[in-house]
Amino acid sequence: MSRVLVLFAHPDRGSFGGAVLERVSAGLQRAGHEVRLRDLYGESFESRLSIDEKRDHLSAPDTKPQLARDFDDLRWAEILVFVHPTWWGAQPAILKGWIDRTWARGVAWELPDGAKRLKPILSNVRRVVTFTTHGSPWRVNALQGVPGRRIANRSLRVICHPLCRTRWVAFYGMDSADDDRRRRFLRRVERVASRL
Amino acid sequence: MGTLETLVVLAHPDPSSFAHAAAERARRGLEAAGHTVRIVDLYALDYPGALRPDEWRAYESESPVLDPVVAHHIELVRSAEALVFVYPTWWSSLPAVLKAWFERTFVPGVAFVLDPRTRRVRPALGHVRHLVGITTYGSPRWYVKLVNDNGRRTIARTLRIATGRGTRVTWLPMYSLDGHDESARRAFLDRIESRLGRLR
Repeated sequence: MSRVLVLFAHPDRGSFGGAVLERVSAGLQRAGHEVRLRDLYGESFESRLSIDEKRDHLSAPDTKPQLARDFDDLRWAEILVFVHPTWWGAQPAILKGWIDRTWARGVAWELPDGAKRLKPILSNVRRVVTFTTHGSPWRVNALQGVPGRRIANRSLRVICHPLCRTRWVAFYGMDSADDDRRRRFLRRVERVASRL
Repeated sequence: MGTLETLVVLAHPDPSSFAHAAAERARRGLEAAGHTVRIVDLYALDYPGALRPDEWRAYESESPVLDPVVAHHIELVRSAEALVFVYPTWWSSLPAVLKAWFERTFVPGVAFVLDPRTRRVRPALGHVRHLVGITTYGSPRWYVKLVNDNGRRTIARTLRIATGRGTRVTWLPMYSLDGHDESARRAFLDRIESRLGRLR
């Protein structure tokens, strides 16, 4: 049993993306995990890093009370689960903004004196799992350079526990998919979620 | 020598930032070459950081544009022969506000058309001859390459599918931003101005 933070970034809970979230939640519940859900659209999350947050990007987390809940969620999680449509090859802006603002100094990384790059400190996160849908077929996403997958599985993963594992569960060609393919994907989503 | 209609999209919260200085030098270089320059400064516009739910519902409808600001930006994009993006790279990719600009501006009918019969996407930004990225990275080059430069991929690959193969990509990166002294920063700004002055 693990602590799972689910980040949901879809504007409509009644959409296929919302159905994916339901199956993720069902799978996680079946596995007995402790789950926190963040519905970024539902809570109208402010995704823009502010000018103060930019100027104070080296300041300690307790100087940013507006992000206290986000910091607490990120520090609490052992498994990070992203559920979102892929738009322009990557995470929706609202989710990118949650990353821009929450993966801050003192929570995700440190910058020791004289260091040339970040020192990862998010060692509580041991798995990063994404459930996503693509409107276009797999080969189009391959041409695009799969930026969304690389943001999650590389750029974020290197900040997590050194043995952190990643998983990318994607539904391609949604714009032309029939109901049968959609149902099969939803079953797969629940199966994967229940085995995390 | 023809002149180009150019659109500079800038995404940094701080008006005194290096990115703002870079956008200003890009403008000077383009204008010196006789090009027309329009600048969209997203933070100065208080541009939203997400595609809105009502915009998502309208996305595949006949009229996916609900906000006059978006409609204006679409006009700018439609007349642009060069798109210049100026932004800091965060988490290997675009700041949220710039990603939101992609999602809201490049809707069906603008960046691509969805063939109603095959449900396939066809590119619609063929008039854009140049894509230019000007970006700063906190990390050194080898690290950027290790995690993949996903902002660059979004512009040079994902967006380029919508512009077509004839579109040239110009990338002006400054790695290890915090490790550079004033003279290196000035040299980078000079390079931006001269490089954009040579855009044809």
